[in-house]
Amino acid sequence: MNVSWLIAQRELKERIKTRSFIGMAIAGPLLVLLLVYVLFSVGENNKPHWNVLIVDPVGIMDNKILANTNGNISYDFANNYLPLKDFEKSKRFQKYDALLELNEKILSNKAAFLFYKEKPSFVFATAIQFHLERRLEEVMIKRFSKMTVQEFRGIKQPINVAFRNLYDPKNESYSLSGWVGFFFGGVILLFILLFGMTILRSVSSEKSNRIVEVLLASVKPRQLMFGKIAGIGIAALIQFVIWTILIWLGLFILRETLFPDMMDLSNWDVSKIADQASSGLEDGLFRSKVYNDFVELVYSRIQFGDMLVFFLLFFISGYIFYGTFFAALGATSGSENDGQQFVLPIMVLLVIALWAGYYTMQNPLSQLTYILSFLPFTSPMVCMVKLAQGYSLGEGYQIYVSFSILALSSYATLRLAGRLYQNGILQFGHRLRLTQFVTWLKNG
Amino acid sequence: MLQLTSITKSYFQKIAVDDVSLSLNEGEIFGLLGPNGAGKTTLIRIINRIIEPEKGEVRFNGELMKGKHLAEIGYLPEERGLYKTMTVYDHAMFLGRLRRMSKDEVNKSLNNWLEKFEITSWKNKRIEELSKGMAQKVQFICAVLHEPSLLILDEPFSGFDPVNVELIQNELKAMKKAGKTIMLSSHNMKSVEEICDRAALIHQSKKILEGSVINLREDRKDGRYAVKFKGNMLAFTHALWTGFELIDKEELAKDRFVAYVAMRGENNFQDLLKTLIGQIEIEAAWEVLPTMQQIFIETVTGKSI
Repeated sequence: MNVSWLIAQRELKERIKTRSFIGMAIAGPLLVLLLVYVLFSVGENNKPHWNVLIVDPVGIMDNKILANTNGNISYDFANNYLPLKDFEKSKRFQKYDALLELNEKILSNKAAFLFYKEKPSFVFATAIQFHLERRLEEVMIKRFSKMTVQEFRGIKQPINVAFRNLYDPKNESYSLSGWVGFFFGGVILLFILLFGMTILRSVSSEKSNRIVEVLLASVKPRQLMFGKIAGIGIAALIQFVIWTILIWLGLFILRETLFPDMMDLSNWDVSKIADQASSGLEDGLFRSKVYNDFVELVYSRIQFGDMLVFFLLFFISGYIFYGTFFAALGATSGSENDGQQFVLPIMVLLVIALWAGYYTMQNPLSQLTYILSFLPFTSPMVCMVKLAQGYSLGEGYQIYVSFSILALSSYATLRLAGRLYQNGILQFGHRLRLTQFVTWLKNG
Repeated sequence: MLQLTSITKSYFQKIAVDDVSLSLNEGEIFGLLGPNGAGKTTLIRIINRIIEPEKGEVRFNGELMKGKHLAEIGYLPEERGLYKTMTVYDHAMFLGRLRRMSKDEVNKSLNNWLEKFEITSWKNKRIEELSKGMAQKVQFICAVLHEPSLLILDEPFSGFDPVNVELIQNELKAMKKAGKTIMLSSHNMKSVEEICDRAALIHQSKKILEGSVINLREDRKDGRYAVKFKGNMLAFTHALWTGFELIDKEELAKDRFVAYVAMRGENNFQDLLKTLIGQIEIEAAWEVLPTMQQIFIETVTGKSI
């Protein structure tokens, strides 16, 4: 059997039976679920009243729309084309919270745009969509059918309203999906940090109790280092799988028990809403469908299948890339406590990677994001965010380039760290200095 | 069995081993001696392929030493450690498997050694539950588990009580009898004298002595003889008269002595015994050879003791 695999197996067994591993496997998901619960609970926080200006230059709506009975949304109509800049800057439009733009194609493509100043809650969004839909039903029935309204509602399809920020109509800066990527990238960084430190401690302790010399009489330093990184990496993957299962299970339980009324888009039955409305239950219509962005994020936006494949690829490569630094650091330090000062630069890199992920969410199309997505230090984070946001048409190849660069860099750092490991692992009692790194790197 | 030719190794411009050549014959116990920092551990690491020499070569059974030969070598380093949370069994299994043993082979060999040392009850104990001496026994077992044809032991007796030193020495003698070759580095000169067939002395990175232990001692004898007797010291001195010279004496008890005597003129050991018989009650008499400790100190310090 391959000696690296034997080393990996020992490491794995040692890790998974520790209290910290078991504690983290339970506490981690619980913490995430607690956070989810808090965000679910406090997610709804919006203005009590909305003024919406409907721009309808063709007059499709005939200046009519169903007003909601409790009066928390008011509508006005503009029958001429209104540039967004005017709406944004003109004083007379300051009282409006949003502009609902209708054009002549709405009857065919069933699409409208709502440009908001402050993102509406799902309750408001659903209400506006519902009101518009109701009015369009009447228009369409009148124009295209001899059916009654009730008959029409039986066969109708939902209209897709794209909610856009007035200040960012192309929706470049903000995307719920980006948070999904940020979450996945954050998990990668968190696991790299936690298990990277485990590598560091494991190498240091083997070195300080001198078992390493016994091992080196049977295995090469590189095999030992690789086995160690692999074993701890597998432990990290097992930890992640446990997290995934527990979080998934927890979200399911949350949805089924604590938040049974939470709306799931997949369960959103438009005809049912319409029926409720027509039967005079309009006030209660949305009350039972309390929903917030985070719920949508968790239950509707995460494409676990797509994300997991790339998550695993970037997780493994990123872990090896950073893990080799930790292993080399452990091997070259003179004692268990030595080398702590060199952990700081690695942590700074991880923090920069975290920032890069946030920056990518804010500026997905910027030049800096483009560069950060190829740098091996930041690509695991940036690519997760970009993947979640969706690569533009024809740019999908970028994620493969990023991954290739990261994989090659991981291989390179594995080689370099191997040199440091080989030269440093049997040096004891010294104080680690940068010049030693350079000397040991040269002595390949 | 093992030949080292012109081995040289330096660390950061400091020479650790300088042009050292050695050879170990099959079925012998070879002592590698030297003061701290002489280069013994570096030499042992080179034999174990843990580090590479800058110059020179190591041959194992005539072949250039390669990774495949490591399975035939057992190694107990001076600074040895164990994984504290692992059991004795897990530890042996892990290290045995690294030495290319099958699980069955490890099991069989481990049980055999545990029974031999009468410590079968330790099998499932964690290392952290064992005393230092107990852990050292486990380390020794792990080094010999795969029945290596060459066993390299760096300070194998350090930390052992006399009973366990005896136990380990007996095991080493038994292994030698079974045809195994053993190299041991030790500061325990008494053990070296007792069990080593040959020895080499490394000092300041160079080999300065090599030979069979008895020859090394014989070569440095100074013609002194010791006589252990019961009787009067005055009578002893009178008996020596002018043919012999009393150099030193130790009083063991009342009227019991060990006297150290040098020959004068053509007198020899037989003459000495003839002179003394009838004057005192001789209990024992022998030629005094320098101890390995004396040879070690004299060679390293350049001063005679």
